Amino acid sequence: MKIIVPIKQILDPSGMTFRRDKERMFINREEYIVDPASKAAIEAALQLKGDDDTLIAISMGLPQADDALREALAMGCDEAFLLCDNAFENADITVTTSILVAAILKLGGADLIVTGHQSADTGSGQIGPRLAEALGYAQVTDVSAMSTEDGVLQATRRWGTAEAAYATVEAVLPAVVAVTPEAFPPRYAHGARIMSAYRDWDVPVWDMAYLGLDEAALAPLLAFRREGFPPPLEVGERFHGDPADVAQEAVMALKLQKLIG
Amino acid sequence: MDFSYLDDWTEDEAGGPVEEIGEGYRNIWVVAENSNRTLLPATLGVMGQARELADMIGVYVYAVLLGEDAEALGQDLLAYGADKVLIADEPGLAEYRPGLYVQIVADLVDQYRPEILLMAASPLGNDLAPRLAQRLNTGLMSHCIKLELDMSERLLLGTFAVFGGEMYHTVACPQARPQMATLQPGYFRMPYPDTSPAGSVQTVDLDLGAVTGRLTWIDHAASVALPDVSLSKAKVVVSAGRGMGDADGFALVEQLAEALGGVVAGSRGAFDAGWIAEEQIVGVGGVFIAPDLYIACGVSGDIYHYFGAQDSKFVVAINPDEHAPIMKAANMALVGDARQIIPAILDALAN
Amino acid sequence: MDFSFPKEYQLFRRMVREWVENEVKPLAKVIDREHRVPHETIKKAARLGLMGVPFPQKYGGMGGGEIGYCILMEELGRACSSTGTVIGAHTGIGAMALYLDGTEEQKQKYLVPMAQGTAIGAFGLTEAQAGSDAAAIKTTAVRDGDDYVLNGAKVFITNGDIADIITTMAVTDPALGAYGGITAFIVETDTPGFSIGSLENKMGIRGSSTAECVFQDVRVPKENVLGQFGAGFLTFMKTLDIGRASLGAATLGGAQAAMEASIQWAKAREQFGAPIATKQSIYFMIADMAIDIEALRSLIYRTAWLIDSGQPHILEAAACKTFGSEVSHRCIDRAMQIHGALGYSRDHWIELGWRDQRISEIYEGTNEIQRIVIAASLFRPHGLRIPT
Repeated sequence: MKIIVPIKQILDPSGMTFRRDKERMFINREEYIVDPASKAAIEAALQLKGDDDTLIAISMGLPQADDALREALAMGCDEAFLLCDNAFENADITVTTSILVAAILKLGGADLIVTGHQSADTGSGQIGPRLAEALGYAQVTDVSAMSTEDGVLQATRRWGTAEAAYATVEAVLPAVVAVTPEAFPPRYAHGARIMSAYRDWDVPVWDMAYLGLDEAALAPLLAFRREGFPPPLEVGERFHGDPADVAQEAVMALKLQKLIG
Repeated sequence: MDFSYLDDWTEDEAGGPVEEIGEGYRNIWVVAENSNRTLLPATLGVMGQARELADMIGVYVYAVLLGEDAEALGQDLLAYGADKVLIADEPGLAEYRPGLYVQIVADLVDQYRPEILLMAASPLGNDLAPRLAQRLNTGLMSHCIKLELDMSERLLLGTFAVFGGEMYHTVACPQARPQMATLQPGYFRMPYPDTSPAGSVQTVDLDLGAVTGRLTWIDHAASVALPDVSLSKAKVVVSAGRGMGDADGFALVEQLAEALGGVVAGSRGAFDAGWIAEEQIVGVGGVFIAPDLYIACGVSGDIYHYFGAQDSKFVVAINPDEHAPIMKAANMALVGDARQIIPAILDALAN
Repeated sequence: MDFSFPKEYQLFRRMVREWVENEVKPLAKVIDREHRVPHETIKKAARLGLMGVPFPQKYGGMGGGEIGYCILMEELGRACSSTGTVIGAHTGIGAMALYLDGTEEQKQKYLVPMAQGTAIGAFGLTEAQAGSDAAAIKTTAVRDGDDYVLNGAKVFITNGDIADIITTMAVTDPALGAYGGITAFIVETDTPGFSIGSLENKMGIRGSSTAECVFQDVRVPKENVLGQFGAGFLTFMKTLDIGRASLGAATLGGAQAAMEASIQWAKAREQFGAPIATKQSIYFMIADMAIDIEALRSLIYRTAWLIDSGQPHILEAAACKTFGSEVSHRCIDRAMQIHGALGYSRDHWIELGWRDQRISEIYEGTNEIQRIVIAASLFRPHGLRIPT
């Protein structure tokens, strides 16, 4: 079985501060990490991978996304490819899809494509189904458990409106799976593989020309208009009164903050 | 997108045909969703928003519903603001199949050319909308918490949360049509139903023969045991302080944690009282937490405790003493006896 | 000059930091209180290749060299000195002696399982009457047929009671003294005659075991002579020389943790209407910590680089251990002062750090011995010899 995992490198959120009062985002420490959803996807793929299977990591990103791919190799991927070109700079999700599809086709397609359900920074949760449509593969999103057998994927995914509601589906391979990050805590990479990741592996860089992409394919469909901040949170606001009333206020506030359903 | 049909309309003498953005695309569509022959509340929220937008630019709202035995819901959709309802009613559509649903909706879109297409960002919507957008070669603004119209350009503006909700981005889809968006449940008010609505319900003729589904539903009541989340990584933490009084009081804290899907923790006082284990102490010498929601019950919140919880995003403190240190730091300071307030919160949550 | 760590080391540090945070740190107080070795952690470390970090992959190691090993020890030092001591004694001196002086057969037989963490190692040098004066050891090794028979007792041996293999120094010719009369042996602890005496009741690093190892007619095959016969003194000197650098790295981690905790606490703790971090007496203490740590960090990793590139490093490594132990002493002590009464409380980890730190000025060659080594190294080019 050939498995391809598209991964994403993001700015480490722990190095960023968001000041709602100043309506500004500050980058205190510019460090890059593998997006947690991507790491979960690598982990999910590693759990499925048998000895005869190949696991390939690809990433569309800046040149430093090479580090993300090395980490994927260290975790257990067999090969990695970086898709990088200045022309990719203004990519929106549709352009990213085109680039990834071009790379996947260059690799001869796959039996299974595993992505994270939604990335932690500006993720839109679209990449899985978009890839599936472009490639003509089956799709299952928000998957928390899965297995494959004889060309069929069995996946348990979140479904329905209740908090812990799941449904199990079967999809005929080839398929795209978008995994729930919390369901696949990523493993630690073995020390020897970490050393090897930079010393013994090549991460080829594929650019626009190599992927056969033209200007039209790289034109984004979405235009950024503006950014905004949620209103600053109150601090020290006291609520007195009858327990029932106080409780109501609390529950309403939590719902307003989207902290509860 | 293929705009060649415009050639007949706008041929320019000097050069080739002039393209007008969005020309020929009209009306706002909602892909509705039903479960057990009831419309999803999230769908109703989308209907309400669609109606508002349609009234602003003077166009129709079309509701599209796929399912089995779904005809009766057509009237409901009219009541909630649709001008026209298109229903695809087939046994083969009883369960969601991505390829099938995309095919049907895409065909309808090609036929009718809506300028805006909305659906709820439900599990189905999140699965369907991106695939549909890819099929239609259009942009999708997903998980929107707000929609606006830029009237000067007749553009839909979608706002959604990024960086875990710390910021918002607003985007538009200037050229491609339809402009698609999925709407985050809970952010859009359900409209009041019109008891005698006007409008028409039409069934769509389908030939499902050629389309093969690659997805089969095996079990609708599955369960997954997710890995345990450690206290330091938990998103919701409910802690007990000495103010909870006794084991019965502590039990209330456990109930609240369970109701919210959170992890139980406590101050050193709670540990000394024997209610929690050492690994559950939050604060100096204990665990440092950074949850999205921290509820401190009967905790005074002196520095030795609060030091471990100061990175929480939203803090609710329940304490009879309104001048306790934690009350100054909390986002919501509920003044009162936690032994009375917690049961009231549990009641409010259940309703 | 490029002072940045190569990328593989940056990735390694990130992985180790996360692993230590999740798997090692939560146990730090527990193993101190329960006075036990964290065997579960050792197994987890072995699975990730962390029990043989400096050794080449062909010997079952991680291929991280001294730089990689110092990174591991630094990260462990930040969280739990006990765990660092257990792994450090195993890798840094127990297995290291084999790596430096073992034959290919010995490396395949003993170094590989030690590097993979399936066998635990220890370093058997110190005796009751032979601490700093290491040459005064009295354990004897007498040839009998194809074996050597060892008799004697070692004390203060880290990992003594959990080790499968102990690199042991014994006297093979009393007449020749230190140079020519001491030989290093690879002793398997399940050999009949080997037993554990008492376990030390220590002020700190109580999550590591320090044991008396008794040799009563322990037969060791002649194939287990480590290094040149009679040149055992050189074997153990070489091993201890290198071990010092990573020990220094462990103290760097401890100092770093003390400083970070001090900053966090000083920021949060308000007295006289403002965080104590704004008081000069406090921030001067923290600034002094930072100066020490910067200097120590440069010293440690430059020394690791000297070792990995095969350059002389005896003076630098001794300086790592001496300076590192004294820096970490100052840092944890200042941290306790900054934390005030909270620093003195057993509920918090500062007092654990304080108790754990003190041994670093004593073990693996006291700082006094280190100064002898440094002076001797400095004086040699001038033709001066220091009497010991």
